[in-house]
Amino acid sequence: MTTRREFLQASAAAGTALVGLTACSGGGSKGGGSTTEPPTPVPSAPILVVVNIDGGYDWLSVMPPTSSANRAPYEALRPTLKIDAAATTDLGSGVGLNADLLGLGELSSLGRVAWIPGIGMSNFSLSHFTAQDLWSQGANIPGGNGWLGRFADVAFAPSGDVLRGITVTSDLPLMLRGATRGFVSISNSSGFVFPSYLRGNKVVSTGAHPLYDTALLENGWGTSLTTPAPTGSSQSGYQAAQAMGKAFYDAQNDPAFGTNNQLPARTPSVLYPGDSTYPTTRVDGGRLSGSLGNQLKLIAQMIASGLPGQVYYARLGGWDTHSNQANDIPNLQRVLGGSLRAFYDDLKSITTASGNAQDRVMILAYSEFGRRCKENDGGTDHGTAGLAFALGKGVKGGMYGAYPNLADLDANGNMKYNAAADFRSLYATVLDRWLGQATTTTNTLLGASYPRFGFL
Amino acid sequence: MADFAPISSWTADDVMHFARRAGFGVTPERAAELAALPPAATIDAWVEGTVSATVAAAGDAALFGAVLGNRADTVTEGAWDASVGVAGAVNVAKVPAPHAFLVSGAEAWRNNLAAGQSYWAFRMQYNPASFPERLALFWHNLFATGWDKVNNMALMLNQIELLRTQGLSGFADLLAAVSKDPAMSLWLDSVTNNASYSGTPNENYAREVMELYSLGVDNGYNQTDITQLARALSGWSFVIPTSAKVVNPSNPGNWKASTATFTVYQGQPIGANHLWWGGTPGNGKVYYMHPDGTHGGETTSISFLGNTFNITTAGGLAPGENALRSILTSRASNCANFLAKRILTHFVNGHYAPGDATDLSNVLQGNGFDLRATLKTLFKSNYFFDASNRFCLVEGPVSWTVRAARMLGMSLAAGDAQAPAKGFPAWRVITSPYFDQMGMKLLDPGGPNGWHEDTAWLNSNTMRYRTRMAAALCLAESYTTYYHNGGGSYVGETLVLFPSNVDDWFPVAPTSGLDVYNRLVALLQPGPIPATVRDGWIAALWPSFLWDTPNKDKARELAFLILCCPAGQLY
Repeated sequence: MTTRREFLQASAAAGTALVGLTACSGGGSKGGGSTTEPPTPVPSAPILVVVNIDGGYDWLSVMPPTSSANRAPYEALRPTLKIDAAATTDLGSGVGLNADLLGLGELSSLGRVAWIPGIGMSNFSLSHFTAQDLWSQGANIPGGNGWLGRFADVAFAPSGDVLRGITVTSDLPLMLRGATRGFVSISNSSGFVFPSYLRGNKVVSTGAHPLYDTALLENGWGTSLTTPAPTGSSQSGYQAAQAMGKAFYDAQNDPAFGTNNQLPARTPSVLYPGDSTYPTTRVDGGRLSGSLGNQLKLIAQMIASGLPGQVYYARLGGWDTHSNQANDIPNLQRVLGGSLRAFYDDLKSITTASGNAQDRVMILAYSEFGRRCKENDGGTDHGTAGLAFALGKGVKGGMYGAYPNLADLDANGNMKYNAAADFRSLYATVLDRWLGQATTTTNTLLGASYPRFGFL
Repeated sequence: MADFAPISSWTADDVMHFARRAGFGVTPERAAELAALPPAATIDAWVEGTVSATVAAAGDAALFGAVLGNRADTVTEGAWDASVGVAGAVNVAKVPAPHAFLVSGAEAWRNNLAAGQSYWAFRMQYNPASFPERLALFWHNLFATGWDKVNNMALMLNQIELLRTQGLSGFADLLAAVSKDPAMSLWLDSVTNNASYSGTPNENYAREVMELYSLGVDNGYNQTDITQLARALSGWSFVIPTSAKVVNPSNPGNWKASTATFTVYQGQPIGANHLWWGGTPGNGKVYYMHPDGTHGGETTSISFLGNTFNITTAGGLAPGENALRSILTSRASNCANFLAKRILTHFVNGHYAPGDATDLSNVLQGNGFDLRATLKTLFKSNYFFDASNRFCLVEGPVSWTVRAARMLGMSLAAGDAQAPAKGFPAWRVITSPYFDQMGMKLLDPGGPNGWHEDTAWLNSNTMRYRTRMAAALCLAESYTTYYHNGGGSYVGETLVLFPSNVDDWFPVAPTSGLDVYNRLVALLQPGPIPATVRDGWIAALWPSFLWDTPNKDKARELAFLILCCPAGQLY
């Protein structure tokens, strides 16, 4: 097994392997990339981890133009917020990757990251919520369910597969809601199983008060989840409560949870942002947020436990940097990059029944939009095109789509749509080539056929 | 056509429906008292938050004020937990002498989310005037502002008080007041919106005030309108009276404002006894952010929603306020429709007929956007009391928790009489993280769009945590929390999360399992529960019926089942 130290040495040796890569090229050609590692085959049991970069991230700060024709307009648009080339890892073609994305530059140099700058849609919305809905739906299909929810509709067993789609957020995002199936939300590994929290010392059990009859409670509640609503009752609310209650009930009773119905505790093999001894701090010296790291740790724990999750979902908020961007963006990037890198490294230590976890996982990161090219007084307002990326050993690293022309913006000062970087092409690529859907199924799920990217 | 004609009489069931929606529920006994009163006058008084003498509750208001002021919080915090390293970090411990919630005035420096949530939860539970709390909760979902970014709980609670006291005014006045609120200014970056000279305005607030607070997304405005309104509202900020700067006694560099005053930064001098929002004393430095026409090249006239406004003239209003208020006149029907939908979704039915929204928006416009008149009309109407509008909404988690606490917990007087600890819920350790895990992190929404209501409250995680909260509410659950004693060790304290006495639930001792069930249903007021489910529960709990201590614990188990079952999520 490669240790973290060995891995870092290998990464350092990789250096600037991607110099010479053109911004519009597919991932196949790695100019001068002798140390770039070829993608591994798509595994027999692939896992997708979706990371939502929530709030609309300023990817012009994440991947700024450093020396291309875009640099001059970039500097004019960003007089105070521009990122110096020296603060980036060169990706070639006059584009750099912000060094605050801790460790992602190294993985990019190894060919583990497919970048898709300029990704978006023809019907951009500058509303967070409309844009998020559009990204979630992945199609203008009436009913407004999500592309991964529709995937669950066709791929998951009609009743069963209750732990195949898991979000570790406390909500259930639209992206994960299908017509008949949805994901299960498990935001915390401790005491997930009803009614384990009624046991132990949590409930009064002294004197004349015996412990409550937890089996009776569980059975009594379970009965209510499967008995049809009485006539005259509100169908929508009653059925939603039944369906969601049953999703929890079934998930926690799934044999995958093991004999004691709990996820085994797990100590991560690496440090994550948020850990007290994580080496990189916030700009002000404080501890980085563990908000994303903790979610990814939980996913790693689930994978290590043998949970049959095929698709996981996590979220990092805070990117709506209308103000104070110079202070906030570096911290946000360190949390994003550092957490993803830690997770990637951590997976290496996990052996599953279907192989090493690092070989099985692909991370897909997206945001609802990028931000306005021209800064306001200390921040940036809502924009259009974004930067999505896929990270994993099965990924053919490099640049896909095209870096937008910052000298040719729309009437609102935002980036223009590029049909070659439509967000549904990303979904189609993932559905076909990672989640194993037939081409026709993918096209049906997305409502049309979209060109596939070459990173898988 | 929604029938907005007022009801002429009502029953205890009607009263309970009204009180669930326009408050946090009433007991069957209270409902019977109110049902004996004429509905129109009683509903008017309820909405006003005035306690009618005929309801015999005048004493509650005085007691509520006294308890809230100095003996409401059952847990406290140490001066500062050095081991955490964060000023104001909570050390939860049961203390002999309960005290007020440490969040405002001289305690503003603590800036603690759980304390702020607890303060409001306690108010929702015990304020004899329920409606102002319900109204504030409704507006908090609409004008959703988050402590995480505002980072000043006292200012957050000042905003909630604004919603409580001005939430029935004309909507234009409310919209203007919220737009000037310091917490909102911080939340959506009005404080950095600078359009002086040729500056690029920060359009965050201008966008959301139309998208989220008055019209709905893309409903009658475009991107140009956003940038124009941003220009009109540039410089809208606040100053802090020197006396309101509350310094952390353990860390003098760390301070919070206990209050702040709306000010437009237009180059005027600020008195030496005030601070600019960033904390700079107002002694000489002048902030110039709102165009006044005296600097070359800047725009003082804007075109917004098809009309032109001079944004330097006040005319009794703040500079630029004329443009803000014009939303209600330039886009009256869009605004009224937007508001009507939000009101219906929260108070009446998440699946209202489209025509119902149109009808209510006509009521709003007919009343000149007067919220008091509109809501009173709605609450008194045949439409509101229609059978199809009962138990049709999934109740939000905060309301759901508070309502159960009101039914199962001790009365204000009884809780206050307990010693050494008060018999009130330990809200400080309940609200966080469980409100969040149930899907409503009160005072700290993830975004300015608040929370989706009705069925969107439910997913497997929130259902899990509803069972978690129901266990706390019904089963006399205790919880041990640890705090740093300052001497290098930790001390554990055990709290009962929701103190309750089963005997209080049953004024008349039950003589059968069905008796127990019927009484608990009357208290908790779930939607219809299938008879087979009811019978199965009763048979499992009481193969033979007794009413001794173990069987009173079974009543707790039954309450738990009623709260957790699908019908228990409806109201």
